[in-house]
Amino acid sequence: MRGRGERLEEAALAAARDAARIRTSRIATLAIVGGAVVVLFVVGWLTTPQFLQWPNLRNVVRSAAMIGMIALGMTFITLSGNFFSLSVAQTGAFSAIAFAFMMSWGWPLPLALLAVLAGALLVGAAQGGLVALGGNPIVVTLGVGAGLFGLGSVLTDNKTIRHGNTAADWMGTGRPLGIPTQTWAFIILCIIAAIVLSRTRFGRNVLFVGGNKFAAASSGIRPSRVAIQVFAISAFAASIAGLFLSAQFGEGRLDSFTGDDINAIAAILVGGAALQGGEGSPLRTALGAVFIAALENLMVLRQYAFGVRKLWVGVAILVAVSLFNYLRSRARTT
Amino acid sequence: MKALKRATPITWARLAVFVGVFLAFALIDGRFATVNNVYTIFEGFAWLGLGAMAVGITIIAGEFDLSVGSAAAVAGILSVKFIGGLGLLPTVILVGLIGMAFGAMQGWLIYRLRIASLVFTLGSLIALRGLAYMISNERTVVMQDLEVAKAVKRQLFIFSPFSLTTIAIFVVIGLFLRYHRYGREVFAVGGGRNEAIAAGVPLARPLITAFALSGTCAALTGALSTIKSGSASPFGFEQLLLPAVTAALIGGVSLFGGKGTAPGIAVGALTIRFLNSGLSLRGSPYYVITLATGTLLIVVVLLELVLDRPELRDRIRLRRLRRAMARETGAG
Repeated sequence: MRGRGERLEEAALAAARDAARIRTSRIATLAIVGGAVVVLFVVGWLTTPQFLQWPNLRNVVRSAAMIGMIALGMTFITLSGNFFSLSVAQTGAFSAIAFAFMMSWGWPLPLALLAVLAGALLVGAAQGGLVALGGNPIVVTLGVGAGLFGLGSVLTDNKTIRHGNTAADWMGTGRPLGIPTQTWAFIILCIIAAIVLSRTRFGRNVLFVGGNKFAAASSGIRPSRVAIQVFAISAFAASIAGLFLSAQFGEGRLDSFTGDDINAIAAILVGGAALQGGEGSPLRTALGAVFIAALENLMVLRQYAFGVRKLWVGVAILVAVSLFNYLRSRARTT
Repeated sequence: MKALKRATPITWARLAVFVGVFLAFALIDGRFATVNNVYTIFEGFAWLGLGAMAVGITIIAGEFDLSVGSAAAVAGILSVKFIGGLGLLPTVILVGLIGMAFGAMQGWLIYRLRIASLVFTLGSLIALRGLAYMISNERTVVMQDLEVAKAVKRQLFIFSPFSLTTIAIFVVIGLFLRYHRYGREVFAVGGGRNEAIAAGVPLARPLITAFALSGTCAALTGALSTIKSGSASPFGFEQLLLPAVTAALIGGVSLFGGKGTAPGIAVGALTIRFLNSGLSLRGSPYYVITLATGTLLIVVVLLELVLDRPELRDRIRLRRLRRAMARETGAG
């Protein structure tokens, strides 16, 4: 017979071993994602001279910022175990339209920004509410996305809204320290997201609910409240991307984010977030966004056909998901 | 009759919506309830019904296939390529088999790799769309012989050979799901996966069955619609997922898995078709139809969450009970 103390010690040791294994697997995942980005840039540099030239690099960085902002917001949904949102592209486009309308009515810039962001928070929270009631996130966001798209088309009569108001120009085209404003916003959002997730109670709640919903619920966290919060955050981030786009081109168009929801999901998956929730980081999602944007750009430079580009993005997702899934299951069982 | 006796309030609600939408449009617009328009509704049903079946089967199995639209696009382009050399029937059968093989492989991989089907099919959604662009050279491909297209959509009262074929396929798959053991296993793993596995259902088989059927339905949607219209484009069927999911859910497929019937999916698909046809008769542009479908989807989800969940009602009852007890103890 072994003593009670001995058994406790053994359990503690096992827990510590588990923690160490999980830490190693996290570092490994970050290394893989970072490594993939580096490899992609080296390949681009060796094969395509114009890839690393500053004007092109600035394009990569700008499009990575747009995908990345949407993806950062959606990372919260994924981490909380609610998969993704299929309404972010429509949320972004609808925000762009709403902003263009408000600018053309001559609203002051801060008021227009606040109104759009508040509206996005509400729409996001409503979707979170439906998910909290037990709705499937994919189906709920698919429906809301279609509703937003239809509503936007009806409001704009399916036309582009040009507002001709220059108040927001600096926001779209400014380059403080030579770097586009979008990129600054992306970097700042990434830092905020990282701090919120690792240093605040809300962030830990998101990870806890994503890791084990029932355990979280029985220790006093309300999964339904977390669901509302994460969907609101995702819509908020998509709305910011929409505002930047609207400011950059001085217009609002419904098709301005077509395909970006898939790109954002791709960024999250390439960043190796666990689909069942609970594991992942904003930094890795950001690297994923850079990877997807750079891959897309490199293939355009090398004059790959549209179909081939799509195929490779799909393959990148499948490889990333299978690889990270494999690594995670090994970390858990060996 | 037994089915009617078992019908829950939500089933009646669904039938009421189905009949109500039809009657509403019939009253608003004299052109709606005519033979010619019902023929048009059934032509579109063939497209939507199989699409809804494709998504619906995987939802019943507790999974989700996002790739149906892209699979249908690939199937459409393949049919244009095959039909010149093979003829009508062999083309449809061959494309259906390719869809089945692809779906079976997808189901097996999802089982083997233990990846959420949502993620896996998102990858194939993108990859298949890319494939559709590649094999069509990024162009709309057109059938050489348009006589076939004319023959399949020849109007026979409210039907056509085309819509009759799709209805027949629908019935076969419905019977398989309802009466064949493999079909019933799909329901079992969707409703209570752990219980089903404990009862000895091998998880691999129902998953492969569900995705194989889904792939078959998606491929047939693509093949049949393409043969009817005479052309296929690589960006086709991009909008299939929204109406398909809506139709399946209106038809009583439960998002929690394990529940749903082929006749239900047919009712759901027809409801959407009534809405589409009624709105387009009134000259509404496509985005109004998208708005209506999206709204309908949200309403159906809300209805299911509130009406069809005994545990939610129980929770409300429990809360009321607790409050009453607190009052008692407070008073005593």
